[in-house]
Amino acid sequence: MEQNNSLPPFQGLASPQGALTPVMPMFSPMMPYGSGLTPQPVTNTNSLSLLEEQQRQQQQQQQQQASAQQSGMPGGSGQTPQLYHSQTVTTTTLPGNTPLYNTTPLTPMTPITPATPASESSGIVPQLQNIVSTVNLGCKLDLKTIALRARNAEYNPKRFAAVIMRIREPRTTALIFSSGKMVCTGAKSEEQSRLAARKYARVVQKLGFPAKFLDFKIQNMVGSCDVKFPIRLEGLVLTHQQFSSYEPELFPGLIYRMIKPRIVLLIFVSGKVVLTGAKVRGEIYEAFENIYPILKGFRKTT
Amino acid sequence: MAYQLYRNTTLGNSLQESLDELIQITPQLALQVLLQFDKAINTALANRVRNRVNFKGSLNTYRFCDNVWTFVLNDVEFREVTDLVKVDKVKIVACDGKNTGNTAE
Repeated sequence: MEQNNSLPPFQGLASPQGALTPVMPMFSPMMPYGSGLTPQPVTNTNSLSLLEEQQRQQQQQQQQQASAQQSGMPGGSGQTPQLYHSQTVTTTTLPGNTPLYNTTPLTPMTPITPATPASESSGIVPQLQNIVSTVNLGCKLDLKTIALRARNAEYNPKRFAAVIMRIREPRTTALIFSSGKMVCTGAKSEEQSRLAARKYARVVQKLGFPAKFLDFKIQNMVGSCDVKFPIRLEGLVLTHQQFSSYEPELFPGLIYRMIKPRIVLLIFVSGKVVLTGAKVRGEIYEAFENIYPILKGFRKTT
Repeated sequence: MAYQLYRNTTLGNSLQESLDELIQITPQLALQVLLQFDKAINTALANRVRNRVNFKGSLNTYRFCDNVWTFVLNDVEFREVTDLVKVDKVKIVACDGKNTGNTAE
């Protein structure tokens, strides 16, 4: 949780309205979601969401004061820090299937506005759709042997220099290279991706190669969900132009590049949202919790 | 050079067995006969066959290597306008149809 202090760029980010420059070559290293910093995109036309953001900022400031992290933020009054949902989770990627990340709603204890709760969690959990991972089998491979002897394999070296192998359970596809490195795609959870990669490694091992299972790493996670209301993408791109790109003639979705966590969201008029670029599940959840109040502010009312 | 794909068919195997029985011909001649068979069967199938068969089944395994597809299907129905044939398991070996193929067993 102390990582923020060691990373100067992030300290710049911490100040809410401050250093969110348009060109941010943000390369967020793997920040555990327990950092407690949400990106506050700069302005909001909707005063209600602006208010909610202010309340959330105040709560973050309280948490940061409580955990003695950041400096220079105008502190709120000495209110009890709210356990932000992302801070309750302490483990990292592995137990992917358990609902550890179900957003715990923030209890509305701040006396800022009597009427609205501080900020409610959306109650919507993005579902993971695809996980891409890599692993090193640690030995050179003869792709032609693998293609000839393994089942469900394709090898066309003129087109692509890898064997494309598929298994049915978990339903995944692997690209196996002659260097011994392998990419595993299509799994719906972290554990499934690891299991599938192990199955491919076992296939290669049974063909006689001294396969190992080195440096398994999840490279990308994709999630999707539905906010259940239509969205004014034009409005969103106007106010969040630092982060958004919307070219309806090119692609019907708005591409929102969130800085923290570093996630790209595809936002569609229908209210469907696709989130990608995550290394851990929590980043997807965190990004969605960040975007949800913004999207509520751009709900289509007709 | 035509595909040697059709040597492992009923027709091709019968030819090979017959050639093995003919002890008086030289192995080189037998090879030439088989090569001529390859050419003949390829042109015959390409030019003299007109009927169309549909088949549908579930895919068990597939393989693509050296530009040759090998499929194993289960519970396949071969349908021609006239009749229907059902099989539990069928292995399909398929080579590229364009005239770019080189000899592949």
